[in-house]
Amino acid sequence: MSGAGSDKGRAHSRAAAAAAPAPAHEQATILIVEDDVLVRAMAADQLREQGYSVVEAASADEALSVLHSNVGVALLMTDVRMPGSLDGAALARMVRAEYPAMKVVIASGDRPDAELADRFDGFFAKPYDVPRLVRHIRALLN
Amino acid sequence: MVEDEVLVRMVISDYLRGCGYKVIEAINADEALAVLQHLDVRVDIIFSDIEMPGAMDGFALATWVRRNRPDLEVILAGSVPRAANAAAELCDSGSLPKPYEPQIVVERIRRLMATRARKPSA
Repeated sequence: MSGAGSDKGRAHSRAAAAAAPAPAHEQATILIVEDDVLVRAMAADQLREQGYSVVEAASADEALSVLHSNVGVALLMTDVRMPGSLDGAALARMVRAEYPAMKVVIASGDRPDAELADRFDGFFAKPYDVPRLVRHIRALLN
Repeated sequence: MVEDEVLVRMVISDYLRGCGYKVIEAINADEALAVLQHLDVRVDIIFSDIEMPGAMDGFALATWVRRNRPDLEVILAGSVPRAANAAAELCDSGSLPKPYEPQIVVERIRRLMATRARKPSA
């Protein structure tokens, strides 16, 4: 996975191995979009413990900044209600159109929306059932 | 890690995680205070930008922390190079060797921001 002969590769492997005991294929990047800092921090922490690399965005604008900088994101997990120019549903639709290979999971305190659940790769009500969410994400990314 | 520019926050947080730190991310002083006041987790260091939107900038946050949480170490960094160097210094006391030099942090941020700038805005 990392360059076997380089110092940087060894350092990166050391850091990755110490911080994340998951197998190498689990180092996929998840982008979490959530404006509540406590919810975001806890969700990010749970996913990092599973070995994923997690990028945190507090709004759709921040999420688009990340995506437009070409950070390789495998899965977007977004809340629906967020302040800013786009809500999570609009962000999800935009991502689906621009990045069709990216998985999109909606995680929201809103009532489950059948349309959203069908169009995307999952809908999770808050508060999250974390083990179920993790199993679902693992299945999507494997 | 208190920083309102998502690409800076992401790169520096990842760098610090690479040295073995657990990093909680806040986009401004309000979020930082919410973490300090409510999250059931130990915080040892506040690493904050200076200019941030909201009622409190980094200086005001530092003042609040010194008055209310004098146990916390406060690091303020008002520019990307300063933040990268401060992170590298923290890495010297981290539990893992620093994954790369701070100049790489600066270059990575610069590259990401240049890539973003080439895209039409939403």
